[in-house]
Amino acid sequence: MSRFFTQGGSDSEDESDIEDEVPEVQDNGGVDSRYLQSGSESDDDVDTKRVVKPAKDKRFEEMTNTVDQMKNAMRINDWCTLQDCFDKINKQLEKVMRITEAVKAPTLYIKSLVMLEDFLNEALANKEAKKKMSTSNSKALNSMKQKLKKNNKLYEDDINKYRESPEVEDEKEPDEDEDTEDDETDPDSEDDPNDDPGSEGEIEEPTDNLTWEKMLSRKDRLMEKLINKDPKEITWDWVNKKFKEIVAARGKKGTARFELVDQLTHLTKIAKTPAQKLEILFSVISAQFDVNPGLSGHMPINVWKKCVLNMLTILDILVKYNNIVVDDTIEPDENETSKPADFDGKIRVWGNLVAFLERIDTEFFKSLQCIDPHTREYVERLRDEPMFLALAQNIQDYFERMGDLKAAAKVALRRVESIYYKPQEVYDAMRKLAELVEEEEETEEESGPTISFIVVPEVVPRKPTFPESSRAMMDVLVSLIYRNGDERTKARAMLCDINHHALMDNFVTARDLLLMSHLQDNVQHMDISTQILFNRTMAQLGLCAFRVGMITESHSCLSELYSGQRVRELLAQGVSQSRYHEKTPEQERMERRRQMPYHMHINLELLEAVHLICAMLLEVPNMAANSHDAKRRVISKNFRRLLEISERQAFTAPPENVRDHVMAATRALTKGDFQKAFEVLNSLDVWRLLKKRDSILDMVKDRIKEEALRTYLFTYSSSYESLSLDQLAKMFDVPEAQVHSIVSKMMINEELHASWDQPTQCIVFHEVQHSRLQSLAFQLTEKLSILAESNERAMESRTGGGGLDLTSRRRDNNQDYAGAASGGGGYWQDKANYGQGRQGNRSGYGGGRQNGQWSGQNRGGYAGRVGSGNRGMQMDGSSRMVSLNRGLRA
Amino acid sequence: MEESKKNYDLTPLVAPNLDRHLVFPILEFLQEHQLYPEEQILKFKIELLSKTNMVDYAMDIHKSLYHSEDAPQDMVERRAEVVARLKSLEEAAAPLVSFLLNPSAVQELRADKQYNLQMLKERYQIGPDQIEALYQYAKFQFECGNYSGAADYLYQYRTLCSNLERSLSALWGKLASEILMQNWDIALEELNRLKEIIDSKSFASPLNQVQNRIWLMHWGLYIFFNHDNGRTQIIDLFNQDKYLNAIQTSAPHLLRYLATAFIVNKRRRPQLKEFIKVIQQEHYSYKDPIIEFLACVFVNYDFDGAQKKMKECEEVIVNDPFLGKRVEDGNFSTVPLRDEFLENARLFIFETYCKIHQRIDMGVLAEKLNLNYEEAERWIVNLIRTSKLDAKIDSESGTVIMEPTQPNVHEQLINHTKGLSGRTYKLVNQLLEHTQAQATR
Repeated sequence: MSRFFTQGGSDSEDESDIEDEVPEVQDNGGVDSRYLQSGSESDDDVDTKRVVKPAKDKRFEEMTNTVDQMKNAMRINDWCTLQDCFDKINKQLEKVMRITEAVKAPTLYIKSLVMLEDFLNEALANKEAKKKMSTSNSKALNSMKQKLKKNNKLYEDDINKYRESPEVEDEKEPDEDEDTEDDETDPDSEDDPNDDPGSEGEIEEPTDNLTWEKMLSRKDRLMEKLINKDPKEITWDWVNKKFKEIVAARGKKGTARFELVDQLTHLTKIAKTPAQKLEILFSVISAQFDVNPGLSGHMPINVWKKCVLNMLTILDILVKYNNIVVDDTIEPDENETSKPADFDGKIRVWGNLVAFLERIDTEFFKSLQCIDPHTREYVERLRDEPMFLALAQNIQDYFERMGDLKAAAKVALRRVESIYYKPQEVYDAMRKLAELVEEEEETEEESGPTISFIVVPEVVPRKPTFPESSRAMMDVLVSLIYRNGDERTKARAMLCDINHHALMDNFVTARDLLLMSHLQDNVQHMDISTQILFNRTMAQLGLCAFRVGMITESHSCLSELYSGQRVRELLAQGVSQSRYHEKTPEQERMERRRQMPYHMHINLELLEAVHLICAMLLEVPNMAANSHDAKRRVISKNFRRLLEISERQAFTAPPENVRDHVMAATRALTKGDFQKAFEVLNSLDVWRLLKKRDSILDMVKDRIKEEALRTYLFTYSSSYESLSLDQLAKMFDVPEAQVHSIVSKMMINEELHASWDQPTQCIVFHEVQHSRLQSLAFQLTEKLSILAESNERAMESRTGGGGLDLTSRRRDNNQDYAGAASGGGGYWQDKANYGQGRQGNRSGYGGGRQNGQWSGQNRGGYAGRVGSGNRGMQMDGSSRMVSLNRGLRA
Repeated sequence: MEESKKNYDLTPLVAPNLDRHLVFPILEFLQEHQLYPEEQILKFKIELLSKTNMVDYAMDIHKSLYHSEDAPQDMVERRAEVVARLKSLEEAAAPLVSFLLNPSAVQELRADKQYNLQMLKERYQIGPDQIEALYQYAKFQFECGNYSGAADYLYQYRTLCSNLERSLSALWGKLASEILMQNWDIALEELNRLKEIIDSKSFASPLNQVQNRIWLMHWGLYIFFNHDNGRTQIIDLFNQDKYLNAIQTSAPHLLRYLATAFIVNKRRRPQLKEFIKVIQQEHYSYKDPIIEFLACVFVNYDFDGAQKKMKECEEVIVNDPFLGKRVEDGNFSTVPLRDEFLENARLFIFETYCKIHQRIDMGVLAEKLNLNYEEAERWIVNLIRTSKLDAKIDSESGTVIMEPTQPNVHEQLINHTKGLSGRTYKLVNQLLEHTQAQATR
């Protein structure tokens, strides 16, 4: 503390005041501070560097001034001024937050909020005074009431904390009396989230009574009654009545959500039958889900944890009393829960475990989305995953025992989704963590003795069990899902399965799974999150293909992802800006909600490097082969474009990013300089992300040599009469057998007009010189066939047979324009674009099998292949149009 | 060497897709070739027989295996049981059987199934129960090893039966019987009939359909490698998309037979290219010398490798129950398929080799073809004479010189323009049709 005093000493009084408060919160944070810590830590950072940032002081000063102003307004009961000040302070708060980069509002602000709230309550209670007020003043008072209530919800935690423990040394404040009132009551009681909620309620209650008396008096009285009730008098009926009362208050205006949770939690302690306890626990969990309103934010982490513990308790009850059945289809009869534990026959309780579990998972996911991934908080949050997995495992076991395999499959999917992206190392780390966490928790639980009528022993294990390898776990879960899941569950599980296989370098298995499941065909009919999963799977598959050295396959997996400038969007790893249209806020929000948490990200640089290298290896020899060809056959449009851009530059600077590196390598490769090409690529930073880095680099080197050889032959064959095998082998540092194989392939595929002279081990080139007349004749025939083709197309468009083809082709060309024109189209357009990306993927990949892209050998077949490739594109276009229309209708 | 032989033995993969009775010929073959210890095979045989009704046979094997005279108790019991059951089934099916044995009565049957059923019911008091009994009886006969009887009854049953499921299994039974009786022509007919049903019928699930296809292909192996025209048929069947997919997904070992058929058969050369692509896709999941041979020649152009593989292939063919069928010719036996395979494989290598060379040393060529110099020369001369090869032999330097096969410019031009008139003609026709359609509208 003194550190701050000494540092802040030179500043104004107010300033030091604020500085004090920061560590203050940290001290009083109690156990909870684990989460707040990061926030206050960053405050710390800022404090030490404060000299460099005078802007911050200024903001604080402004804020303090506003607070003073507010105090003055209060003294004269001027609500109009107060309202203005309130707006002002909110604006200032934003600035302060931005400057300090704090996650938490400064205490000064919280203090003023508390002050305002108390004053407001006072004013509202004083009916007499209210009547005397001027109209404008009372209007301001009312609007203030609304605003404050809304605003305070955001800072509810902080306010409560502040009320518990305002700084003692603060003496200037006029509203001190209220604070000290709080101080008198025990400040150490609250804010231990893992503490037993019941005892917490009892101690804390009077505190709240005093401060919140006026506003929440009804609730509090109820609570008080609950607690002060003599245990002997508590009957089932009484508990039931109270429960109904509390539940009825849920969702009503003015019901404090935390209060509700606390009350219900207390009720679970005094529940008379296990069924009742169960019923109330369900409500507790629902109430806990309600704590955070709105879709964007996430559930507070301590509440989340309590929620998981509650779920486990529910499972304990269900496992122990197996005559209790949870069901959400039948409306149970009023007194169902009055049946005692030893009632024979089924007791039905309303509830849906799967929905709860899914919600918990979603909240976990959301919290990871929201938390800044570079903080400790994020890591801490990740450590909670085993806890969730334990819960999911138990629920799944329970469902399997009960024979509800459909539900079990759904739960299994959630487990699959939290495992599939983890490589074996991460998985092992998680396994170890899970064991550690268990030990910690045991000691914690001993400290809190529970008093409750229905004591439930912990039947259900609190620790997840993991098989040795993640593959084993995936296999078990996935096969359960394939047997019992519904369509969507199965599709998702399949994608996760493929993803995981790809992660484990089982390219062939992953590919076969993908092709057999026909997911490419119908993925565009699925929801967006599944489509994103599909995209991510394709990316993972592409990386995997690269790792095992299958360049063509890798390229066909990745090329569609890179066909537009929307990789980030397609993988849900960030938002990509579009040049042509601004997104509506609604769209942006939707997109933000789809984002993947940071730890699941696929490294985009690596992905780009892999894609470009694959494109380079395929495109460079292709360009060399067709350099004089009128119809240029393009394998990777994206790569060509990049190459053009880089060639247009007057000076080539040393490579900086991935793209520059690959372009530099391409330039070297075009000249046949494989050594330099490899060196440039080798200097890339991303290779360190690969596990088997050396073997992969060797593979890349071999491929570069091979393609350099091919490029060389394409480019310079016309200058040679013959070339000897050993010279070529020496030149490109490739074994003779391989050179022989490569050159033979080129001969067979008629890429190279040459043949071997076996006795001398030479390649003899057959240069075909066409006379002028001959080449003119060739040109003529070519033009003739183009004419015939265009005739056919014109005919088709008239007769309607292939009309769609033509229009879709036009669409292809003007795609960007069309995108711009329909920019304002709103959401459907976005959706259609998603479909589009996918669509393309399909043609690139699915088409691959038919057109023999898999072969990777048959390079001579390009002519035929491009033909069918075009066809694929046309079909592509037409179905894209269909999807656009669908979007319109939807 | 023993090990590698066993490695390439497909019996464990093939057997699960066959009927018990169909496995016998394979076991006989293995016994003959002594790939496995005799005892082991005999034990397998007994195990196989235990589920069939061929108890007498099982007893014989048991005796020869343990060199004891008395059969085990359970076998004796089972025999009694089988006989009893045979009696009861015979009785149940008697009316229909006697009807069918009466030629004049059979002539009353017509092509109309409904009519037949009606007629049987009215005139002979033969109802569905008896027909069902006939099926059971036929099945029992099959189990007993009386294949010809089973085949006859099943044929009759099919003309009377109205249940599709049953009819299908009757067909399978008929096919098995014909195969075991080695009536290849009839078996082939049955196979095609079955194929139609499998392809046309909307099967319960695609999975089921695939399984049926796999069975069909496995059973077909018996026919294809014994029937005269089988090697073309096998390609026609296996190379269909649906069947090829089935092979790729669940039974890649069948690729061996398809590959062999492709090598041996000259008539299906055009499809070979497609098949090579399939091989490339599948070389991760299944390895086989014959497939590797094709890969060497057509994918990697590794002729030394191909030559090595050829030797392995020979081994595989001789020891494969379907491929290695022997023909006794006088006092020495040959495996006709092996000779054919080697001849064609050699031709494959040579063809491809010649395609990319303009001058080849005869010595090297002879080595590549597994022939001595003289033989190689004779072989090549023969090829040149039958104008399969456009080349000359330069005896002085001992080389073969290929004639350059540069496509003629004139030919190229003609090729380019050949399609144009046809296309235009078609276009005009379309246009006329279109206008006519418009006019009538």
